[in-house]
Amino acid sequence: MKIVFKTVNSILYVGISGELDESMARQARESLDAMIDEADMKKVVFDMSELSFMDSTGIGVILGRFKKLKALGIPLLIANPTKAVDKILNLSGVYQHMPKVMF
Amino acid sequence: MQIDNHMSLKIAALSKNEAFARSVVAAFCASVNPTVDQLSDIKTAVSEAVTNAVVHAYEVDSGIIEINASLSGRTVHIEVLDEGVGIEDIVRAREPFFTTKPGDERSGMGFTVMESFMDTLEVKARDGGGLCVRMSKNFDMNGE
Ligand SMILES: Nc1ncnc2c1ncn2[C@@H]1O[C@H](COP(=O)(O)OP(=O)(O)O)[C@@H](O)[C@H]1O
Ligand SMILES: [Mg+2]
Repeated sequence: MKIVFKTVNSILYVGISGELDESMARQARESLDAMIDEADMKKVVFDMSELSFMDSTGIGVILGRFKKLKALGIPLLIANPTKAVDKILNLSGVYQHMPKVMF
Repeated sequence: MQIDNHMSLKIAALSKNEAFARSVVAAFCASVNPTVDQLSDIKTAVSEAVTNAVVHAYEVDSGIIEINASLSGRTVHIEVLDEGVGIEDIVRAREPFFTTKPGDERSGMGFTVMESFMDTLEVKARDGGGLCVRMSKNFDMNGE
């Protein structure tokens, strides 16, 4: 798993690639939280176009970041999930909390 | 049930073994030509069962996870076994969003994922302690 950040027009784009499971969850949490704590943005977008695998541990990571951002009043969006990742996001009801965008 | 092929794997209950475990089971299924989507369902379901054994089964010292898979025609049967603490109320544990570790940001969706990504799911206590998770998937059936 790899995470890269880019800010454009006060939107924080987070590219999450590779495989997100229990072995990567802690690293994912720590780098996402560090970025959320220090950046000044009006919106966060998780780009999942290069995330080939994610299980329900990843759902916990995403929902945890969602709650943190919600408390700060910052919306979170999921962008371009791969088919496999989209399936588990759908099943877990993640899109009831944050919209999916494709670009 | 005629068994055409089978495999057995024992791994230390460590999260760094999850990717290895799910890849092995997926590779084992390759001989009956599942679709890419079916293979990713298998990987996700195996990852859920193995993660549970890593995260929930062994609270003190880490133990062993046993994974057995067999092919019968184009149906794969997978078994994930641990010798850990087991589950007191299995019916409740299988409910969507139920987790005993909400503070660790667990989603409680593991069993729900196994159930919906596979055709069958059976969760049983093992004699002598630990959990047995059995699931199967037929590759002739079309997923959505
Ligand atoms: N192998 C296991 N050994 C002991 N308890 C387990 C095991 N697998 C699952 N459980 C219990 O069942 C609950 C639900 O599991 P699951 O649906 O995967 O959700 P999560 O792992 O997110 O908690 C867990 O919180 C745990 O209490
Ligand atoms: Mg789980």
